[in-house]
Amino acid sequence: MQTLKLLSAFFKVNVQMALAYRADTIVNILLNLMWLGWELLSLNIIFSNTTTLGGWGLGELIALLGVFRLVNTMMIAIIWPNTEKFNQSIRDGSMDYTILQPVNSMFLVTFSRITVWRIWDLALAIVLIVVGINISGDTTSPLSILTFILLTLSGAIVIYSLWIVLIALTFWFTKFDNNVTILHALLDAGRYPVTVYPAWLRIIVTFVIPIAVATTIPLQALRGDLNLNQVILFFTVGIVSFLIASRVWKSGLKQYSGASS
Amino acid sequence: MLLIFQRLWQVNWAEQWQYRANLIMYLLYWLVSPIIYLAVWTSIANSKGDVNGFTANDFITYYMTLLIVDQITSNIVIHTFGYKIQDGSLSGELIRPIHPMLTNALVNNISFKGLTIMGLIPVWIVLFFLFKPDFSNVALSGVLISIPAMILGFFIGYLLSATITALAFWTTRVYSIHEFYYALILLFSGQFVPLTLMPKLIQEIAQYLPFQLLIYFPIQVILGKLSTAQITHGFTMAGIWLVISLTLFNWVWRNGVKRYSAVGA
Repeated sequence: MQTLKLLSAFFKVNVQMALAYRADTIVNILLNLMWLGWELLSLNIIFSNTTTLGGWGLGELIALLGVFRLVNTMMIAIIWPNTEKFNQSIRDGSMDYTILQPVNSMFLVTFSRITVWRIWDLALAIVLIVVGINISGDTTSPLSILTFILLTLSGAIVIYSLWIVLIALTFWFTKFDNNVTILHALLDAGRYPVTVYPAWLRIIVTFVIPIAVATTIPLQALRGDLNLNQVILFFTVGIVSFLIASRVWKSGLKQYSGASS
Repeated sequence: MLLIFQRLWQVNWAEQWQYRANLIMYLLYWLVSPIIYLAVWTSIANSKGDVNGFTANDFITYYMTLLIVDQITSNIVIHTFGYKIQDGSLSGELIRPIHPMLTNALVNNISFKGLTIMGLIPVWIVLFFLFKPDFSNVALSGVLISIPAMILGFFIGYLLSATITALAFWTTRVYSIHEFYYALILLFSGQFVPLTLMPKLIQEIAQYLPFQLLIYFPIQVILGKLSTAQITHGFTMAGIWLVISLTLFNWVWRNGVKRYSAVGA
């Protein structure tokens, strides 16, 4: 309950900050639409030369683009701005004040900045997913939709946990302020089904920086490619990675000694 | 003048060397999308045999060459210069008797490029063994002719980016304008896919725009895909665009400096 109250307070503050730059918001939304146009055009170019990509049709790739955009929104609306603030707070010691608050510090560090206008991107992503599924004509059962939603959530949790681990490393290596670049760099690999990648790249984006867990795998659940064991496995991976991340965060916090004192 | 460039080179090289860790991250960031396009298109070519005459090897050689060409012709002037106009730190450079954009910023970009290419070489060799491209159609003459093509491409791209950067004299949204410019590059340069696989309309437009001179034209020259007439035509276009971009840049720069009010100074 308290968490929700805090979230809505953060949200309000961030809306107020965004309202100070209204014209920028409009420009950003226009640019965002431009990129959507480009993404759809590039899919169109690919599918004017082939009928399937790694066994997937156009509709499925549009749905995948939707899921990719969900992860991408999380990256840009939450991960990016909060990392910037966090790195700054490690450098100048203002992390002291965060730790003093009577709230979970991990929650505070990861949600206090939200790029608000990106919320509309979530709606756009859901439209893409629905349209994509309709084009593909896949037979979706309520069960496959449920597993899709579950695995999308656990995929997002995996990315979130990886992020926590990456920024927690800053407690040990203060100068490590490129901490999320690797995540951001490999994110683009989520645009296409990982089944088209050569084995070494597939291994990297599935196990090392698990972008695929948040993009390809939920969609495979929707297509009915996964059996029950696999669904349970990926869901467990989500929970376990979150537990590991909180442990890493806690031991990282013990390393923190402040910058000014 | 030569001495000035030599000194600027020493300063900028030392400066870039300081940031070599960031540079590796930049390189990684920049590498990912060509490799993804490579993987996507070779997978299509493998499943069908070829895509409009492009075999899997054609795609592999195309993107492997693109990695080198793009690294040589691209620039980062918007990131190294844009903020100077906005926060007023350009003032110090303006009172020097040399052009800030055409000397210091230019050398800065080239030294950055030198370092990233040093980082790219080992990565490229690893990718070479992973993808095993067959470069047997590449002739030495093509590689030699591509050198002036890439140098021209770099200067055209640099002047166009510099023009956009100089728009910061008028607007604070220069990064948004640059994002739009980057989308044009993706669309018309051949970065996403060899231009001949693009829709006809885009190919027609791309012919007259400068963006293909940065990527598509040098790659085709290296891979030996162009006739002598096409190469001459490409160089003529490059000459025309060099003049246009230089004129455009000079005009924007001169009017911009007049408006400059040195914020914060």
